Amino acid sequence: MAIQEIYDAVMEYDDTRVVELINQELDAGTDVKTILDEGMIAAMDMIGKQFSGGTLFVPEMLMAAEAVQAGLDVLRPHLVGTGTKPAGTVVLGTVRGDLHDIGKNLVGLMLEGGGFRVVDLGVDVDAETFITTAQENEADIIALSSLLTTSMPEMEKAVAAISEANENRNLNIKVMVGGPPINQNYADKIGAHGYGLDAPGAVALARTLVGD
Amino acid sequence: MAWTHRDRIMAALNHEEPDRVPIDFGGAEFTSITLPAYERLKKHLGIDHETEVMSIIHSVAHPHEEMLRRFDVDTRNVQPGGYEGGHQEWIDTNTYVDIFDVLWKRTERSIDQHFLHKDGPFYEGVMTIEAIEAFDWPDPDNPGLVKGVKERVQEIMEQGDHAVCLYLPGGVVHRGYAMRGFEPYLKDLYKNREAWCLLMDKLTDFWVGTAERMIEAAGPENIDIVYFGEDLGTQEGCMFDPENIYAKYIKPRHRRMVETVKSRADVKICYHCCGSAYPFIEHLIDIGIDALNPVQVTARDMEPAGLKEAFGDRMTFWGGINTQQILPFGTPEEVRAETRRIIDVLGKGGGYILNTVHNIQPEVPPENIVAMFDEGLSHSYGKAA
Repeated sequence: MAIQEIYDAVMEYDDTRVVELINQELDAGTDVKTILDEGMIAAMDMIGKQFSGGTLFVPEMLMAAEAVQAGLDVLRPHLVGTGTKPAGTVVLGTVRGDLHDIGKNLVGLMLEGGGFRVVDLGVDVDAETFITTAQENEADIIALSSLLTTSMPEMEKAVAAISEANENRNLNIKVMVGGPPINQNYADKIGAHGYGLDAPGAVALARTLVGD
Repeated sequence: MAWTHRDRIMAALNHEEPDRVPIDFGGAEFTSITLPAYERLKKHLGIDHETEVMSIIHSVAHPHEEMLRRFDVDTRNVQPGGYEGGHQEWIDTNTYVDIFDVLWKRTERSIDQHFLHKDGPFYEGVMTIEAIEAFDWPDPDNPGLVKGVKERVQEIMEQGDHAVCLYLPGGVVHRGYAMRGFEPYLKDLYKNREAWCLLMDKLTDFWVGTAERMIEAAGPENIDIVYFGEDLGTQEGCMFDPENIYAKYIKPRHRRMVETVKSRADVKICYHCCGSAYPFIEHLIDIGIDALNPVQVTARDMEPAGLKEAFGDRMTFWGGINTQQILPFGTPEEVRAETRRIIDVLGKGGGYILNTVHNIQPEVPPENIVAMFDEGLSHSYGKAA
């Protein structure tokens, strides 16, 4: 029942309570992975579902993500200690020539809340920086964001560069794309492995891509 | 009778059909054209003049009178002059601090040259009541704001019979984001509501004070439209809960802004909201908004027929020509077809003003801009002139 309380505390955006309950569970010897999966990731999935369904909005998503972050800070050393691996590693950023980051940051928060390790490179990022960072971090996925129509050509170039790097440097990095002017057709056209309609969609997609 | 430009616009805003669809181009900072696209348009049309910048922050041109006449544009813009002094400072060509002590940046690595806010006075830590009170707020009595306003209105009236559109920059939510930072601002709605409300009241005070002085300077009888707004939507949904957040905490401030304007001038008000605006439209009608811009038809629930059916008798739609796909990437024929479709759907019975969804973006080919406006010019509601 206590795991359910952690889930409830995330749904109520109560970060203090999340931390308190996790500490209680750890003291009681509850499995760390169970706390993470059933308490926090399950709650974040529900938040994502409500966000995509249009019954919950950006402030609430941020509040829930903050509660999960507070919980993750407590859990992290225990996850390392028990050898629990993240769901995958995602290198994230807005493509060259574009400084917009609101949507990209929401994707980052939801991926972390979904159990992924996220390396956020910020905005106006070169293709080569994405690739070398992904190599250094042994990332599974590079996630590219673009708000502007004018930066869409940069997204296309980045996808091509990643694909070339996969071939020439013997890598296996998946690339996913998103942003207001982006859609599935465009993602297919430029050769991305997937397109996320919104932040929860990006989490679902990332899970599929690392499961391949 | 021959239709004047003003009559054409006002007919549409009163949900009546004029002779043809009214056209706006550059009536406000979000219905204009980015500087690179404007340069190409000038060259394409063989129109030669020095480009006047409407907003350096948004990288937007003020279309020249000759350009406006080429497309028989029905609106003319007037907006505040430059604030004098205060926090403003250019740190370098790509970094600017505004009158709210907000830092704006752009990148040179793009043809898109508009600035985004990246730091502000309340970004770090907890935003306290004391810090908000102690802040050196901009003054609506600053003489720069009204400088040139009266002269500009006179110039418009001497040049023709256009609808005068007074653009009042900066909504309270957007300035809130800019001063506090996007995520802290939204979280403060739950964590620090008292300070959030005070910040919003300070921003509303400045906006209202500026509106009062601008209307006075322009002459209330000379203005036809007041344009303001800020985004409440995203591509795939709403930024805020329309009932639990917008209606309770933002709408009362918007109502105060609208009432300030309407109590001083007999004008129509156009409200700008990008993204999925559908769930907010009933609230906007309730506070006295007459027109919605830019009608982002590619966002969730923003399909034109549905909008017209639900709100067409009470809300005028201003914009709607797709800048995310068709204008930049379509052919002139596709642009013409889409423009005709939007006019047919949104313009039925009046209630539509032709304009793009937001400013014409840097990569839009001039041929497509001409195709859009010429399609509007060739439109007729079937009435004798």
